[in-house]
Amino acid sequence: MSSSSRSPQQPVLQLQQLTRVHGSGATEVHALRGIDLDVFPGELVAVMGPSGSGKSTLLTIAGGLDVPSSGRVIVENTDITTADRKTLAALRRRSIGYVFQDYNLIPALTAAENIALPRELDGTSARKARREAITALEEMSLGHLADRFPDEMSGGQQQRVAIARALVGDRRLVLADEPTGALDSETGESVLALLRARCDGGAAGVLVTHEPRFAAWADRVVFLRDGAVVDQTVRSDADSLLTGRTAER
Amino acid sequence: MNNWFSSWRAAVRIARRDAWRYKGRSFLVLAMIALPILGVSAADLTLRTSELSTGEQLTRSLGAADARIVDPDYGGVPILQHPVEENSMPVGDYENKPWPKGRTDVSASFPPGSTALTDSSGAGKVRTAHGILQTEIRELKAADPMARGIMALQDGRFPEKADEVAATTHFLASSGLGIGSTVAARGLDREYRIVGSYELPDDLKADQLNALPGAFLDPLGKALEAAGMPGAGRSTTHLLALPRSADAEGFTWNMVKAANAKGVMVISRAVVLDPPADSDVPLFQQEGWGAYEDSAAAQAAALAAAGTVVGLAMLEICLLAGPAFAVGARRSRRQLGLVGANGGDRRHIRAIVLAGGLVIGVAAAVVGTVLGLLLAFALQPVLEDYMGKRFGAFDVRPLELIGIGLLAVLTGLLAAVVPAVTASRQTVLASLTGRRGVRRSSRVLPVVGLVAVLLGAVIALYGSVYSDRFIIVAGGSALAELGVVAMTPALVGLFGRTGRWLPLSPRLALRDAVRNRGRTAPAVAAVLAAVAGTVAVATYQASDDAQQRAAYEARLPHGAVSVMVGEGGGRDVPAVRDAVQRNLPVDVRADVDRIVVGKASCGMYDDNKGCGRHEVVIPVANRCPLWVYTPDGSDPADKYTKAERRKLAQDWRCSETPSMPSTESGLVVADAGLLKVLAIQDPAAEKALAEGKVVSFSRPMVDAGGKLGIRLITDPAKADEAVAKGQEAPGRVTSFDAYQVAPGTESYGVAGIVPPATAKAAGITTVPFGAYFSTDRMPSTEQRQKLDDELSKTGAGAELHVEEGFVSETSIVLLSLTVFAGLITIGAAGIATGLAQADAEADLKTLAAVGAPPRVRRTLSGFQCGVVAVMGVLLGSAAGVLPAIGLRLTERRQQMNWYEQALDLGGMMDMPHVPIIIPWGTLAALLVAVPLGAALLAALVTRSRGAVARRAAT
Repeated sequence: MSSSSRSPQQPVLQLQQLTRVHGSGATEVHALRGIDLDVFPGELVAVMGPSGSGKSTLLTIAGGLDVPSSGRVIVENTDITTADRKTLAALRRRSIGYVFQDYNLIPALTAAENIALPRELDGTSARKARREAITALEEMSLGHLADRFPDEMSGGQQQRVAIARALVGDRRLVLADEPTGALDSETGESVLALLRARCDGGAAGVLVTHEPRFAAWADRVVFLRDGAVVDQTVRSDADSLLTGRTAER
Repeated sequence: MNNWFSSWRAAVRIARRDAWRYKGRSFLVLAMIALPILGVSAADLTLRTSELSTGEQLTRSLGAADARIVDPDYGGVPILQHPVEENSMPVGDYENKPWPKGRTDVSASFPPGSTALTDSSGAGKVRTAHGILQTEIRELKAADPMARGIMALQDGRFPEKADEVAATTHFLASSGLGIGSTVAARGLDREYRIVGSYELPDDLKADQLNALPGAFLDPLGKALEAAGMPGAGRSTTHLLALPRSADAEGFTWNMVKAANAKGVMVISRAVVLDPPADSDVPLFQQEGWGAYEDSAAAQAAALAAAGTVVGLAMLEICLLAGPAFAVGARRSRRQLGLVGANGGDRRHIRAIVLAGGLVIGVAAAVVGTVLGLLLAFALQPVLEDYMGKRFGAFDVRPLELIGIGLLAVLTGLLAAVVPAVTASRQTVLASLTGRRGVRRSSRVLPVVGLVAVLLGAVIALYGSVYSDRFIIVAGGSALAELGVVAMTPALVGLFGRTGRWLPLSPRLALRDAVRNRGRTAPAVAAVLAAVAGTVAVATYQASDDAQQRAAYEARLPHGAVSVMVGEGGGRDVPAVRDAVQRNLPVDVRADVDRIVVGKASCGMYDDNKGCGRHEVVIPVANRCPLWVYTPDGSDPADKYTKAERRKLAQDWRCSETPSMPSTESGLVVADAGLLKVLAIQDPAAEKALAEGKVVSFSRPMVDAGGKLGIRLITDPAKADEAVAKGQEAPGRVTSFDAYQVAPGTESYGVAGIVPPATAKAAGITTVPFGAYFSTDRMPSTEQRQKLDDELSKTGAGAELHVEEGFVSETSIVLLSLTVFAGLITIGAAGIATGLAQADAEADLKTLAAVGAPPRVRRTLSGFQCGVVAVMGVLLGSAAGVLPAIGLRLTERRQQMNWYEQALDLGGMMDMPHVPIIIPWGTLAALLVAVPLGAALLAALVTRSRGAVARRAAT
């Protein structure tokens, strides 16, 4: 699969026939059963479903933190299911950004340093990494947080910094696992607005949530049950009227 | 490279901020690493500062002079001298005759045009505010530029007139005098005014008076001689400054050799600063001489020993600090998981945990070195006073300090290695979700450990059974000990089996400890190593103590007191006897005098003019055949076979000689009171003394006719020559009727007692010597201190002995070792408990959920701490006792070998007694008290209420 000849509409993330089985024999649990999913640049996909439906497993496998039992995960044209540990770590530094429910930031580092971390780990000079981090913060109007430590920020601010980190440098894929779970609804909305804005800017996002209110920010909603996709919806007209936006697809 | 640097920088940043966030834990580890660094760097600084440079040393001994001219007292015959030390011998063969003796005209050796300054010293008894003080009197024109640096003026000035003196600060302190006071020497009717104080940089505790040349010693010596007292004992050297023109070369080695030819010894600045090659030193070409240097093997052994100590100390610190880093890594597991989620590689995770060690290590190095500098600086005056020596310039050697500091950094890094590897092996997902797994310990390590234990044990066993070399036992033991440390995880597993019968909290604690050997083992190993060392030393010490107790030879019956004054004349003896009687609970007092030949002012073993000596004539039939004179100089014992020699050694002629004689012949002049004090109950002896007979405690002294002969030798030099030729020494022999006390009677160094009237009747001169006392009860410390004080005020140099039996000196060592091991145990167990608590948070929540009372948290942490302590102490005790026993067995074999060899040569020696004593007290304290204390402490400091749990993500 060569990339140069393709259009910008080439998917950033492709999941092909993904299955994941935990345990074996009597304790065998099928967390995922043959999932197919493409996420394109500029697209925010929400994954919904009840507890134990495989939402989080999907996300960890998509980011290379876990390996599927079968199937393929392709991120930016690289098949990560066959990649070694080092390649995976490098991919997480350069291509994939994570946002967890809470406690996303390293307490020992300031906001700017947290954002610069993947770049620094990648060998970028500290000064350049910091400059990029400040730029990223300013793009999201968070410049004033640059030198604050996580415990000096509110939960919403922390999540926004985490989103900034997820997309620093050339990273175009955000995997967000209930990023608003620990926040009140108003702050949650503002965090999702930011995520939406980043996707509108060209990033691809996968958002795991069980709140339909937040799923409404997505371009597409995938419903999981018992490890399988049971429904896919494109955002409804009512939603687009509500937000004053039109569906692109 | 840039990549590597950049990611390490991020790691160090995280580690630095984390260290700051968890100040308590960081401080603990920092203290553990910094303390030894502090000690070592302070010791290094002090050592380097106290080591004087050759130049500094020369200034203290020569001042500004080029050389010091010394008369070796060989009467001017050519000599050979050591280039640097004051050591010389006459040229020629003096194998079988005494060395020449007499003054040398040193001025003949002064190079033309040079200037000289005399430096004489002698001794006198000076009246002080408290009494009389034996003081050195030094006549040196200290204000002369040539003498600058020898005496450091503290206050006032040096003497300028004949009736002025300066005094050392120590003299002023101990005499109670000050500048402006006057001093007078006993026996000299003249007073000197103290005009200044000074100190001798090399001997701060010297009591010395400085006077102008000729002002003090000559008048004192004349006055004493006139009064029939021993003189001031003057000796003179000359400081020499060469004429300016020759200055460039100084007093060269060739000039020194030229002076040697005239019988003069020279300590030359130029030669000391630049010593000649050994081949240029004629003295070193003599037989029996040579440059004494440590052999390469000895140096290597010392280096190996130092390396072992440093290595073991670092191992101990790593074992203690390692778990602390593991706690840190465990606590920040989610943080490490986040780094992983953001693309952190395994090496990044490792780098972050390692950077923790690096940060703490660097901080410890800086803190330890800085505090060491301050400590060395602050302690310098104290140490100078303690050692009685001024140090040189404060000597900071950056390279050595950096080396010591690097040890701290290395220790920090090493301690973090295992936690770093462990942390990096965790999957990112496990770190993020906080899933726990049982961490399996390495399987290779116990095998390696077992091999090391077996190998070490075999070596140690070989050492203790077949060899008498300590190094084999010690090396084998050390290897085995390291093996046990490596085997600790496996051994900890064995303890788990005992868990079934325990109640909930201890069972939970034990299971947890055993299941998580990865964290338990280092703590147990740390305890093990500390306890093993302590127990080994304690066992050895206790055994050695018992041996010394058994080998102790009482010098007097228990509680008895003796006081002796060996000085000539015995003028101060009555005052000394009275002082003892006044201050101690004396029951019986027995005064003793000694026989003196020549002038009454002659001291014991005095070789001054006009002084002779006396001896007991041993009848030919009573002489030990192993020691008789042989004309060819061969050993008389060679004539006998081993068996004969052994038999002869038991013969009364050879075995019944007094040990530790109290006078030159072992004879004292005293009455029957002495028998009472020495606890000799022999009415016949008392009767013999009353009849004027000599009482003998040594069978060979009395001939078949019951007579004992005393020879008075007036010319010792002639006597020496005669003895060297196998002839009887010349001298008047007086025979006395003697009574021989039954063999086996302990007489405590007294070979015989001569009744005073008998000595007088025979025309033998006696002088007061001292006294023996028996006491009602053991003198108290206060009484002894008061007496010591009074005795020193008599200025007599009295030798006091109070027989207290064997006094062990090792108990304080044992105690401090036990305390040290206890602290290590509690520290290690505490750290392990902290780690266990960090792990057990979820278990505790579950326990609370099923209804366990809050105190379970406390008891659990107490037991967790206790379990670690008990395991470490048990293993450590076993690992410590065995090598100590091995060492003792080796020692026993070695002593038996010496004993057998001595017997074969016909020597006399007691059968060696090398007991093995287990220090039960120390063991009990370690086995019971320390784990109990650790458990209670842990339970006390643990909160019953758990911290509010943080909601884990996902």
